[in-house]
Amino acid sequence: MPELPPRQAMAWVLTLDFEFRAAVGEREMVHLIETPTLLDVPRTPFYCRQILVWNNLLLPVMDVAAWLRGQPASRQRTLAGVFAHQPRPGAEPDYGALLLAAIPERARVADEQACALPEQPSGWRTLSISCFQRGGQPIPILDLPFVFSGGLQGCDG
Amino acid sequence: MNHEPLAALAVLVLDGRRWLLPQAEVASLEPLLDIDPEVRPPGSIGAIAYRDAWWPVYCMSGELRVMARMPEKRRLCLLLDNGADRFGLVCDQIESLADPPPLFPLPACMRLPGSPIEALALLDAGLGGATTAEHIARLIATGEHDDA
Repeated sequence: MPELPPRQAMAWVLTLDFEFRAAVGEREMVHLIETPTLLDVPRTPFYCRQILVWNNLLLPVMDVAAWLRGQPASRQRTLAGVFAHQPRPGAEPDYGALLLAAIPERARVADEQACALPEQPSGWRTLSISCFQRGGQPIPILDLPFVFSGGLQGCDG
Repeated sequence: MNHEPLAALAVLVLDGRRWLLPQAEVASLEPLLDIDPEVRPPGSIGAIAYRDAWWPVYCMSGELRVMARMPEKRRLCLLLDNGADRFGLVCDQIESLADPPPLFPLPACMRLPGSPIEALALLDAGLGGATTAEHIARLIATGEHDDA
C-alpha cells in the first residue's frame, strides 16, 4: 500500500446529532454498534448517564451533543462508537463510547485544511484539540482523553 | 479496571434499580408493619424499635433521593448499621447473590461530586450500583428530596 504524502492524516468524521459533527483520529475508533443496548446509571451527569457493555468492560457512553447544548435531546437514531484513548503518556489504552447519529465517514485531512474552531457553541474550545475545514464546514477534532477523564465536569458546553 | 469482588453483598431493589450494600452493614430485615409512623424523626416515614432503640426509617427513590411518601411497591424494611449510622430503608425487594459479582469502578466522566456509587456491577437482572450505609446516610442528611 503506498504511503500517504507527509502532512496528511486519516480521520473519522462523526455525526454527533442532527447538527454537530466532530472528528477523531483514524486509530481512535475501534468499533461501531448499531442500536446498542445501553444501561442507565443513576446520579450521573446528564450527558453521560449510560453504560455500554463491551468486551467484558463497562464503558461510559458520552453524549457530546447534549453537553454542547447544556441539555439532553431525544434521538431518532442511535449508534454507539467505541473509542480508544490513552489517559496518560505510556499508559494502557482506555475505552469509552460516544453516541452518534450516523455511520462515521473516513476522511483524509491535510494540514492546509486547518481552521479556527467554531465560535458557537463555546464548548468546542473545551473539548477540541484543533479543527479542520471540510465541505465548507469546520470539523473540530475531539480531545478524547480529556472528554473521558471527567474534564467536562464543571465546564459549560 | 478493578474487577475484584468485594465481600458478601446484599442487593436491594428500589423502583427497579439495584443497589448493592455490604452484607455486614445489614442489621436486620423487618416487615413494614413494624414501622411506627407516630415516631417520626425529620425526613423519615417513621421508626422501628430494634435492640432497645428507635431506628428512623427512610424512603428513597431508585436514584437515592429521599421521598416524603412511601410508594405502594415498598415491601420490606432493611435496617442498616455501620457502627456510626443506624437507620432503616424501605425497599421493594431484597435479592441474594450466589457469588459476589465483579465490581467495576465508576468511570471518571460519570462521577458527580458526592456520588454514592463506589462501583458498578453487572447482575443477571441488569446494572447495580455498589454503595454503603455511610453514603446513604449522607444523602439523607443533606436532605435532597424527590418530590415525584
